[in-house]
Amino acid sequence: MIFNSYTFVAFFIIILLLHHLPISWKFKKINLLIASYIFYAAWNPPFILLLWLSTVIDFFVGRALFTQTNPHKKKFLLVISLIGNLGMLCFFKYGTFLLDNFVSVVNLLGLEYHPATPNIILPAGISFYTFTTLCYTIDMYHKRSEPVKSMLDFSLFVTFFPHLVAGPIVRPPQLVPQFETERIASKKQMFDGLLLLSLGLFMKVVLADGMLSATADAVFNSTDVLSGLDAWIGVFAFSGQIFLDFAGYSTCAIGVALCLGFVLPQNFNYPYAAIGFSDFWRRWHITLSSWLKDYLYIPLGGSRHGKLRTYYALMLTMLLGGLWHGANWTFVAWGGLHGLYLWIEKYLRDRKKDTDNESKKITRDTGWIGFFYALLTFMLVNITWVFFRSDTFSKAWQMLISMSGTETGGKALLTTLSIIKVLIIIPSIIITHWFMRNTKVLDVAHQLSWWKLGIAWSTIMLLLIWSQESGSSFIYFQF
Amino acid sequence: MENKSLLKSAVLMGVITIFIVLCWEIYLRNLGVKNSYDDGPPLWSYTREKVYQSPNSTVVFIGSSRNKFDLDITTWKNETGFDAVQLAIEGSCPRPILKDLADDPNFKGKLIIDITEGLFFSIAPPNNEKPIENIKYYHDRTPAQKASFFLNKPLESFFVFLDKDNFSLNAKLDEMEIPSRSGVFMMPIFPWKFNRNAFDRQSAMTKDFVNDPKLCNQVKGVWHFFSEMNKHAPPMSEKGLDAIFSSVKVAVDKIKSRGGEVLFVRTPSSGPYYDGENMAFPREKYWNKLLQITNCPGIHFKDYPAIANFNCPEFSHLGPEDAKIFTQHFIEILKNEKGWEFSLSKSSN
Repeated sequence: MIFNSYTFVAFFIIILLLHHLPISWKFKKINLLIASYIFYAAWNPPFILLLWLSTVIDFFVGRALFTQTNPHKKKFLLVISLIGNLGMLCFFKYGTFLLDNFVSVVNLLGLEYHPATPNIILPAGISFYTFTTLCYTIDMYHKRSEPVKSMLDFSLFVTFFPHLVAGPIVRPPQLVPQFETERIASKKQMFDGLLLLSLGLFMKVVLADGMLSATADAVFNSTDVLSGLDAWIGVFAFSGQIFLDFAGYSTCAIGVALCLGFVLPQNFNYPYAAIGFSDFWRRWHITLSSWLKDYLYIPLGGSRHGKLRTYYALMLTMLLGGLWHGANWTFVAWGGLHGLYLWIEKYLRDRKKDTDNESKKITRDTGWIGFFYALLTFMLVNITWVFFRSDTFSKAWQMLISMSGTETGGKALLTTLSIIKVLIIIPSIIITHWFMRNTKVLDVAHQLSWWKLGIAWSTIMLLLIWSQESGSSFIYFQF
Repeated sequence: MENKSLLKSAVLMGVITIFIVLCWEIYLRNLGVKNSYDDGPPLWSYTREKVYQSPNSTVVFIGSSRNKFDLDITTWKNETGFDAVQLAIEGSCPRPILKDLADDPNFKGKLIIDITEGLFFSIAPPNNEKPIENIKYYHDRTPAQKASFFLNKPLESFFVFLDKDNFSLNAKLDEMEIPSRSGVFMMPIFPWKFNRNAFDRQSAMTKDFVNDPKLCNQVKGVWHFFSEMNKHAPPMSEKGLDAIFSSVKVAVDKIKSRGGEVLFVRTPSSGPYYDGENMAFPREKYWNKLLQITNCPGIHFKDYPAIANFNCPEFSHLGPEDAKIFTQHFIEILKNEKGWEFSLSKSSN
């Protein structure tokens, strides 16, 4: 089920009503769990079995990992969990990709091998709930937190519908304690949640789907060599689309959870106002970046074993982070490019560390210089989106050639209206991110007078109704 | 401020939103706008489900927009007692739908294929996009999408402003027709009065459209735009045409082998548009050869005096009143000349 659908509106109203019934907390949790399974099954019912399998294995393995004292048995249990979770992910998400690459290598060696193409359907949200359950068992192995006492709470932690399909990726200590005592949204939480839900839907439906997706699709699906203007506008359109689509989903998820009285972690913090790439990754898909940092970068050595090891850990983390997004080498290249940016940034920062003082840093973060750096970061991030959005390296290369302006006689593809839409929306996003970079949308909403907020909110709702975009899926569902 | 709720703002938002939406709705109704259902993949898929009904109570129609305008479904039902499952899609080539039905072992029914030569024999990928999108949506539909479709129906039945093609934000922006750079394709705009979609996927021109020469000329201009565009397309090779004929024959044979029936129909067009079609797609080379290769019966409107001389308001589709007359004669031809039998008892749908 997707948030931008009539089905979800009806579903959510029913859930809110059930959540406010005078019944015990345990029954309310059972309601939420059943609702979460319905939410997932409404997409593709058979895949609910995978979700159950993952939940049951990790609940019992997690508990055994926490209590087991024999280090060999403990490692064995961890391996079971890793094989269970990552094996499932590998089969469904990377099965075809691995087979294709194997066939390519075998054919390169001169052996004729042409197996039938497997028809594997990717279960929605598998990358997200695999990471959710994986961090639980790893935490249990390291005894970082207490095991979840009840199967009901653990199932709800894994399956809670607002975060299930596309995050935010939650850690057990962030959500499990919230299931231990009864939670009903306060009046403030309810209206804050509804505002976030409206805003998230506006970002997704009006801006991402209504204004930008057609332009991005036209440019990236074109087989012609395009003019520089069309290529750049297409990349800007995708840059806006991917942010508005994914941040829109996260905003909806946080808003929906808040309406039920639960707090989910922030997932985006105005990433297009980031100054540099480490700042970008502190602001973009925050829960994935922190997951990769804690469960991949640090175990790989982090910054504790010298500069060379740090660079190695950084690059490997970004490459695997890229691969997490999709079974295609273009995603690996996307991650690799971000890794390269982070390398360069780290090198420059290490060199400047001794000469930079605090006052310089403040000027750089707030003034025109900071804005210039943010703009530079944004432009370089756009280069990475070319690899993220292109299906093949040849398409990505073709786009980069067009963007470089060296190609003469490129085809003019986009209408003036499409260009105007992008040229209004993208600068608006950048300016909004810059002025909001150190604050939160709910803080700003509460600072506004009630009637100004009412007018702004109604504008959002009217545009949402007027856009009449049908419920298209969120981009991150495919990851 | 910490504990202040946004209740007052939410109430104001609700009041403003409801007020403006109602004003917009009343304004459109005063313009004479009637409901029109979004003819996207969900409605097409809902209709596609019905192809499995008994062939003794149902006929499936595929083709392009002419089929949707020219077949009056109410007349069809009243005269035959059969359901008309309308799967034609405007501006598109029906061959992908023919293939989808042929490859579906559960489809064993009666099929009428409308031939608009410029689209049926087209190899331009854009003409296949909509059918392919609809077929994919039908096969991949989730339970949530099915539920959303049924929740959407009462809203579309009530609010006339829910018409994405004509009254959505993007439709209104497109209407500004901001000039683009030379060589950029800009989709021409159809007036909203040209086409209203019923829930059974029947398309109909409004009376205002039929009686307004200015609006008719606007749509004639659209056809002129497309015909000029097609002049620059590379000509179809003999090999390419043969490949189309043979793919259609394969599909038709599959349906027939399961006990199904297939009939082709060439629905009316008129004026210079018809002349242009005749020049570009000579009857002997296309229509006659199609019937000969597939060994299927066909009804060409020019062969029957009762339906040979309609005046299409914009050269390409029948107005609502003519569609009723055409449908009545079409049924008569099916019964008297093609041996189709209909029972007047309503199907149990």
